[in-house]
Amino acid sequence: MNTEKRLLRPDMMPHMLCPGCGHGIVFEAMLRVLDRRFATLDQVVFVAGIGCSSRIVGYIDAGTLHTTHGRPLTFATGLKMARPELTVIVVTGDGDGLSIGGNHLIHAARRNVDLTCLLFNNEVYGMTGGQAAPTTVRGAYTSTTPGGNRETPFDAARLAEAAGATFVARAQSYRPQLFEGILEQALDHRGFAFLEVLTDCTEYFGRTNRLGTGVDLLQSQSRAEPAIGVDLAARPTLRPVAETAVRPTLPMGVFHQSRRPTLAEALGVGGGGDELAR
Amino acid sequence: MTAAAAPRSLILAGVGGQGVLLASNVVAQVCLDAGLDVKKSEVHGMSQRGGTVVSHIRFGPTVHSVTVEPHTADWVVAFEWAEGLRCLGLLGPGGTAFISRERWVPPSALDDRRGGHVAYPLDQVVPEQVVPVDTFTIAAEAAAAKAAVAQTVMLGVLSRQLEFPADAWTAAIERWAPAKSVPDNLLAFERGRRWEAPRAGTLPRVAPAPAVGPPAEPPPAPVVTIEAAWCKGCEICVAVCPERCLVMDAHDIAVFAHPERCTGCRLCSWLCPDLAIDVAAAAAAPVPA
Repeated sequence: MNTEKRLLRPDMMPHMLCPGCGHGIVFEAMLRVLDRRFATLDQVVFVAGIGCSSRIVGYIDAGTLHTTHGRPLTFATGLKMARPELTVIVVTGDGDGLSIGGNHLIHAARRNVDLTCLLFNNEVYGMTGGQAAPTTVRGAYTSTTPGGNRETPFDAARLAEAAGATFVARAQSYRPQLFEGILEQALDHRGFAFLEVLTDCTEYFGRTNRLGTGVDLLQSQSRAEPAIGVDLAARPTLRPVAETAVRPTLPMGVFHQSRRPTLAEALGVGGGGDELAR
Repeated sequence: MTAAAAPRSLILAGVGGQGVLLASNVVAQVCLDAGLDVKKSEVHGMSQRGGTVVSHIRFGPTVHSVTVEPHTADWVVAFEWAEGLRCLGLLGPGGTAFISRERWVPPSALDDRRGGHVAYPLDQVVPEQVVPVDTFTIAAEAAAAKAAVAQTVMLGVLSRQLEFPADAWTAAIERWAPAKSVPDNLLAFERGRRWEAPRAGTLPRVAPAPAVGPPAEPPPAPVVTIEAAWCKGCEICVAVCPERCLVMDAHDIAVFAHPERCTGCRLCSWLCPDLAIDVAAAAAAPVPA
């Protein structure tokens, strides 16, 4: 058995994610990073909201908080203030973190709470039935945009940077090794580290937009190297839409890193016993 | 134009990552410092992917054209065996080719990805004008056998063919090489400069057997285990396996059907969304009781 699987709760496996879901790839890559960094996860707490991505914390044998929809960052902020020595990793999704919890995201970034926020972006609300999310690209079909999405999506990484996050990066499920490297840097960072991971929703986003199977979605991430990109309009099976539907080509990597006082430092709590500082 | 004033032509060739461009900068710098006119041009589009890198350098009192025409080069200096052979068509009748015996095998030349057998021009008859140079052996004596540094040996070998003083070469290396690798580069250069090429006529006409040959038997296969109860049948592993080792069974569960082809690259394990695939290094051969 690969060593990172020691960190699983084996009685919870197999996980509930759909066949081909990109979240599982990112999840295993995350476990490999944790396996390298931590002998045990006693001092690591995962905080998640609601959604497919947030569910993955239930499979990790660490301290886990499965919180209310959109609020993982608020729970995590409180946890970090009360127990500054803990390594806190927030796992959220694009709906959870950008829509329901969008305000909490920008304020956690503004306050520079010393934690790592992993935002799984699959461009749709997967768990609740494939509704349009704030990241759904223009033209994409979802259960709430049967005529194609007319709204302009968020660029989550730019949003976090503008809100004051001191570490901002983006990775994708197609390149787990790239993700692992960036996650290592995010965990090393002292301050609010925001890492957006582009993954694929096969059952709702992929199926509704007739983008093929999980294999097709995953491989479509590779077509616009080094950036991710699926040109929805270029797919012959796609229903025609008036507005060009494009999953924009997005750059990968670490976009921003800076240092300023964390919330704990600003409030004078916690001292130097911080796992992330080392 | 007198014969002495005619420009001389040099080809530097290798594989992306070997430092061909850096070496050509050094040569050009040495020529410039000697007051000569220098022109150089490179083909290096695929250099980041282990592709061919060729640099044309022409120098003399006056140089008009940068391109080295076929059969006109005075020297071909190659950092990789096949790349050197490829450039022999540019070598002039009186020229000499110094070719490193280092080999960088492109993936497309691998017949057997596991056993490492390659279709590669190692045993090709070597023309009279070719001097094979064992860069790694020469550099290793100087304890400087790093892949890029070892190639500086070739600059040392080349420097013996040109009239420029050793000081000019070391100054150019110090200027162009990354600061932390300058001492190693200078050491390798010195070794190359002192290296005595075998006298003409004593050279073996067939390139000697490669230092790293194909193993007698393919190594034991890595062990890929699939947790069938976790597999949801997405077929990602089947699609991404470069060697096509995995297939789906009648129940849509991935099966490791062709262990003999597996190279242990771990792509299936990394990209399995269900955490169902483990790749372990090859099991050690059982010890006879």
